[in-house]
Amino acid sequence: MKNNKNIFSTILAFAFIATGIYSCSDKFLDEVESYNIDSEGYFNSEDDYYMALIGAYDLLQASYVNVLLGEIASDNTLCGGESATDVIGFQQIDDMTHTQVNNNLRDVWNWMFAGVNRANYILEFKDKIEFEGKEVILGEASFLRAYYNFELLKWFGGIPLKVDQRFAPGDELSIPRSTPAEVYALIESDLKYAVNNLEYVAPQTGRVTKGAAEALLGKAYLYQNKFAEAATVLDNVINNGPYDLALDYATIFENDGENGVESVFEVQYTDAEGAGFGCLQCSEGNVAVGFNSIRNHTGPTYDSGYSFNVPTQATVEVFEEGDSRKEASILDINAWAVSTGATFGEGYEHTGYYNRKYIARKGDLNTGDQNLTNPNNYRSIRFADVLLMAAEANNRGNVDDAKALAYLNRVRERAFGDSTHNVTATGGALTTAIYHERRVELVGEGHRFFDLVRTGEASSSIEGFVTGKHELFPIPIEEIQFSNGNWAQNPNY
Amino acid sequence: MKKASYYVLIAFLFVASASAQNITVNGTVTSSGDGLPLIGVNVKVQNTNTGAVSDFDGNFSISNVVPGAVLEFTYLGFESKELPAQSKMSIALIEDNESLEEIVLIGYGSQRKSDLTGSVSVVSAETLEKLKPIDAAQALQGTTAGVTVSSASGSPGSGFNILIRGVSSNGNNQPLLIVDGYEGNLNSLNPDDIETLTVLKDAQAAIYGIKGANGVILVTTKKGKKNSAPTLTYSTYSGTQETSKKLNYLNASEYAALVNESYAAGGQSLPYTDISGLGEGMDWQDQIFETASMTNHNIGLSGGTENVTYYLGASNLKQDGIIAPEKSKFERSNIKLSLGVDVNDNLKVSTNLNYYAVDRKTINENGLGSVLFNALNYSPLFEIDQEDVNGLFGNEIINPLSQARDTYNSYFGNSIEGNFQIDYKLMEGLTVTTRIGFKTFSDKSKSFAPIATYGAGKVFNNDRSTVSQNKVQNHSYTWEAFAVYKKSFADAHNFALTVGHSAQKFWGDGLFATGFDVPNNSWDFADIALTTGTSEAKSNGSYIYDNRLTSFFGRFQYDYKGKYLISGMVRRDGSSDFTAANRFDQFNSVTAGWKISDESFLKDNSVINFLKLRGSYGTLGNNVGGNLFRAALSGEGVYVFDNALTIGAALGPLPNANATWETAEKTDIGLDIKLFNSKVEIVADYFLEDREDLLIGGLPVSGLLGTSAPGSGSPTVNAGTTRSEGAELLISYNDNISDDLSFGISYNVTKVEGTVTAINGDVPLQGGSFGVGQPAPSRMEVGQPIGYFYGLQSNGIFQSQAEVDAHPSQVGLGNASAPGDIRFVDTNNDGQIDSNDRTFIGKPLADYYMGFNLSLNFKGFDFSAYTYAEVGKDMVRNYERDQPNVNRLDLYLDRWTGAGTSNSVPRATTGATNNKLFSDFFVEDASFIRIQNIQLGYSLPADVISAIGMSKFRIYASVNNAFTFTNYEGFDPAATTGQALGGGIDYGFYPVSRQYLLGLNISF
Repeated sequence: MKNNKNIFSTILAFAFIATGIYSCSDKFLDEVESYNIDSEGYFNSEDDYYMALIGAYDLLQASYVNVLLGEIASDNTLCGGESATDVIGFQQIDDMTHTQVNNNLRDVWNWMFAGVNRANYILEFKDKIEFEGKEVILGEASFLRAYYNFELLKWFGGIPLKVDQRFAPGDELSIPRSTPAEVYALIESDLKYAVNNLEYVAPQTGRVTKGAAEALLGKAYLYQNKFAEAATVLDNVINNGPYDLALDYATIFENDGENGVESVFEVQYTDAEGAGFGCLQCSEGNVAVGFNSIRNHTGPTYDSGYSFNVPTQATVEVFEEGDSRKEASILDINAWAVSTGATFGEGYEHTGYYNRKYIARKGDLNTGDQNLTNPNNYRSIRFADVLLMAAEANNRGNVDDAKALAYLNRVRERAFGDSTHNVTATGGALTTAIYHERRVELVGEGHRFFDLVRTGEASSSIEGFVTGKHELFPIPIEEIQFSNGNWAQNPNY
Repeated sequence: MKKASYYVLIAFLFVASASAQNITVNGTVTSSGDGLPLIGVNVKVQNTNTGAVSDFDGNFSISNVVPGAVLEFTYLGFESKELPAQSKMSIALIEDNESLEEIVLIGYGSQRKSDLTGSVSVVSAETLEKLKPIDAAQALQGTTAGVTVSSASGSPGSGFNILIRGVSSNGNNQPLLIVDGYEGNLNSLNPDDIETLTVLKDAQAAIYGIKGANGVILVTTKKGKKNSAPTLTYSTYSGTQETSKKLNYLNASEYAALVNESYAAGGQSLPYTDISGLGEGMDWQDQIFETASMTNHNIGLSGGTENVTYYLGASNLKQDGIIAPEKSKFERSNIKLSLGVDVNDNLKVSTNLNYYAVDRKTINENGLGSVLFNALNYSPLFEIDQEDVNGLFGNEIINPLSQARDTYNSYFGNSIEGNFQIDYKLMEGLTVTTRIGFKTFSDKSKSFAPIATYGAGKVFNNDRSTVSQNKVQNHSYTWEAFAVYKKSFADAHNFALTVGHSAQKFWGDGLFATGFDVPNNSWDFADIALTTGTSEAKSNGSYIYDNRLTSFFGRFQYDYKGKYLISGMVRRDGSSDFTAANRFDQFNSVTAGWKISDESFLKDNSVINFLKLRGSYGTLGNNVGGNLFRAALSGEGVYVFDNALTIGAALGPLPNANATWETAEKTDIGLDIKLFNSKVEIVADYFLEDREDLLIGGLPVSGLLGTSAPGSGSPTVNAGTTRSEGAELLISYNDNISDDLSFGISYNVTKVEGTVTAINGDVPLQGGSFGVGQPAPSRMEVGQPIGYFYGLQSNGIFQSQAEVDAHPSQVGLGNASAPGDIRFVDTNNDGQIDSNDRTFIGKPLADYYMGFNLSLNFKGFDFSAYTYAEVGKDMVRNYERDQPNVNRLDLYLDRWTGAGTSNSVPRATTGATNNKLFSDFFVEDASFIRIQNIQLGYSLPADVISAIGMSKFRIYASVNNAFTFTNYEGFDPAATTGQALGGGIDYGFYPVSRQYLLGLNISF
């Protein structure tokens, strides 16, 4: 009897406790503490848009590879480095033996698309709230999307596009590669929106201006050989923008010359944050500068680096007598050592020259890893480049040769310090002169390869260049595999 | 007169006749085995309260017993007997082996060892005492079939990875560790405080549900025994350590000659013009390896009265590192208290508390640019304090002594853990237990990087001193309540039912900050309180976490006469780390056994004492994948506006709302045999595991999704399955050869074969790293073991240009080949050698794990040796820097220098070749046999020491990691980072030390 009572009360007590526990357990699991901002519930204030915009700018810093390879792939420089196997991806592009298996090309693809997505993240929520100045932020985001898409287009040709939405898992199977014309169309519309909504002076140094958007638009037209449109928009920058050529070429690329009067668009870098090889795209410093710098240098002015991207003797000889740009652009390391007593090491493919515009200068914080945290900004679009593009557009489009000459000579007068070296040719000869000028003015800035390709001069200038193949770089093999037949590889790779 | 005597006579007759009805029983009880009298045997007249207890001679006497009444004889450890009463009796009782049976824990309960139906191994305090491990995990190595223990480093205080039955997951493979009922770690426990380690290897662990898939280790700490006098034990050991291995690197003359040869072959001028007088040069390994000391003190007091048991212990362990001992060392202190009180017949209260404190310093190890890596690669021509001013060795290699000198860090941690438990017997057969276990751990660490230059362009150059300080706190509690009901029917059917509930919470936080510009650039002033500078970048951070688990579990056990056993378990878990839809799951299992030796046909078999067949099947979970559903803005979005670092917001890793944990389906069939009077014991198991829903993170996704952005990443998805299959065998033989000599040997071997059976999208995963700028060497791919090495397969060296021409072109690898270069196999037969010819060239996990243990006792001497072996595993040699001026292994003395000089080691050259690409030239067979412990001890005879009041006095000498027999060139073939994908790659693992110890055990 007592036993039964015991069993009964036990069962009852158990049931009581069990139900009590069961009903609390869900609540127990839900009360978890954490500090997280959800990405789908963002964009509730102007500040949120601004913060996301900073995130979209971030990937500009990862375009250092584009600059580095734009030179290495061309006839301007040799790959260099420590040995023939130092960064195999770079070495192969230099020799035009690159294949679809190339980690560095894959970095270009990945990092530029990362930029596209960050820009699209903002544009995806462009209608969520209204506030004063929203068009400025959206204009900058549009510019950035165009910038990244333009890079991808230059490197890989037609790419998948998505407008105002981030790419979602599965898109690689369904969204096809757009044609280059379609990509250009999006770039043009993005840049036109930016042009219409931005001012010539940005709210903060480093942010996109109307002039930057116009210049990039002009560049996009020029690459499509739409000379008339290019001429129009570039003339606009020249006439209405607050830009001018810097008086002394040698100052443009020094630390003091950052964001100067000649700077139409400049990718900002800093030495304030540390970086490591584990995430090169995370670095806030200009990684290309560390890669370009003098191997084991002890001496004044310059810091050391990995001796990549070394200019060739032929490049040095392209400069004419009296051209001040030669001293400023190319460092003759032997002469330097003789004059200052500095010592240096010799890397692979040592030519005796270094890309002086973008090698490390002493005086920065050298935050660890010091080779990855150089603060040299990348002058993406300089006014001199705008002048030369305008000259080319006016000339090749048969719009106005006189204007073309005027622009060209402005650049030459700054370089030579006088007008005795001005060009007087017209027509085809002027075109040749403009091409030559582009090479000497913009050496080391990552434009050479694409200039050669778009003007049809690549196969005669670059050793190993195969027409019909090397105009485009191969889409990374991993991407072809991910697309599972959706994307075709570029021809002959 | 006549009438009175008549009445007396009748009365007398009455009395006489009355006493003639009841007798006095006099008897002797002896043990049937040896005939010796048994003291304290309970003799009771059935159904009465009359009884007696046998005395020192085994005699007893009961008066007033009805003749023929049944007498019950009971005695602990012997089979009870019932016999009819006689005035003179002689009873022999038979020893009952079963009731002296070992009790084994099985999770929320215990079982007799002979009744176990799951695959369970037990390591006792005796083994722990012999092995004297620094971390109790080491006691599982080589002693337990199916368990392998590895370490990523031999540095003092480094942790251990335990694997039970191989690797099934590419995520977490660590077993669940339960200490006295709460979830804990072995590294915070003093091995001397541990009573047993019980390993649940198969579906027996299913009662732990979501955390049981990797196996469960139950730790019971020492608790004291009832009715035993207080025993004070003190043990200590002290000794020296030295490195167990030094690599054979080139001396100065050999180095200079080789470098000259390589420069010449590369078409460059020779760097060393006169190598004749260089001699031996500097041996950097000798410079950085030192002998170091270690000492341990342990004191314990245990005992108990009728109702109280207690155990108190305290210990301190100090171990210096064999590399830079001032910068690499470890000290651990423990205090333990265990108290159990029987409040009354039904209520028992107990508590266990453990306090742990650790103090540790470490050096940069196992990576490109670690101290050992630098010592191997640094030139033997350099002087002891010479820095690489000109950057001769590239950007990472610096003087290892300088590096060690400039290493400053400290780490302090302490924790309190324990539990409080109440057991209440509600009624006969029904006990309710409730307990709360808790652990709170806090640590603080500091590291200081002084301003330093080591040469041009070195990554370790530092222009600005920094000090980083972190504080972390981790807490957890486990509250459980469960009831166990046991009932038997008809003396044949035995039931047990266990039902319970468990709630767990793990929470914690961390805070980090870095200060700049330390005054005087000195460790003595390295604290954020004193730093003077700041940085534009964000230099501090923090995190918090909070995970909770609630579960219901139940187990049903039934056995028929202990001969046919079956049990079923169910557990339902809910975890807070998943979305509401994916939060709950149920895990079921069933185990069964058949004691064949209890059957009539084997009952009295002289050879087979015990034979049991058992099997188990069930599902268990691996608790990974938490918080993957969160779409956080945890990415890094930083740019520069107005020349200042500006922090923005960016997407973190892509979320996966459907993430759930891994599930394992385990099957096990086993056989337990005891032969020849239980002298020989054999345990054999066959096991099979299918692991599903493996969480695969970083699964390569298209760059389209923006996952390469800083701070972002591909979503982690449940995308893989693996299968592990294998067998374990344990054979042991224990015997007493004579009264003075006894010995035991045991051998265990485990074979595990794991393969990946599916990955969504069939895309191979990559991991690990090799060299600089080379593709990942490890892969996870369908049909292959997890983490296998993927690279080029070699087939000798080209001896002549003719051979080069006859072979498919190797240009596709990046360079044309020349005589003296490695010839690679065209595995895909496409007529050219390129990266598509990469194939399986090795795997990090062994085919066979073995342990062989021997112990001998002769009079007062005891000797034991424990050996452990792994066969069939490979390791990647990744401590060589691909740079023209670094030092090399002496295996390069066998390089190709002309036709016929070598078919295994390529030519030396500074030019570009394909020889540095990842191939089987860099994969070595790392099978080994290691004698992990040899110990010889002597205990003074009991009569000698009892005069002083001691019960034990033993001195001993032992050598740990005495010898390792292996062909592996590197420091430690047993070392691995423990990662499933990327394990087995040697960047220069800090070698395990060989320890020479002298010790003492005293008990009062």
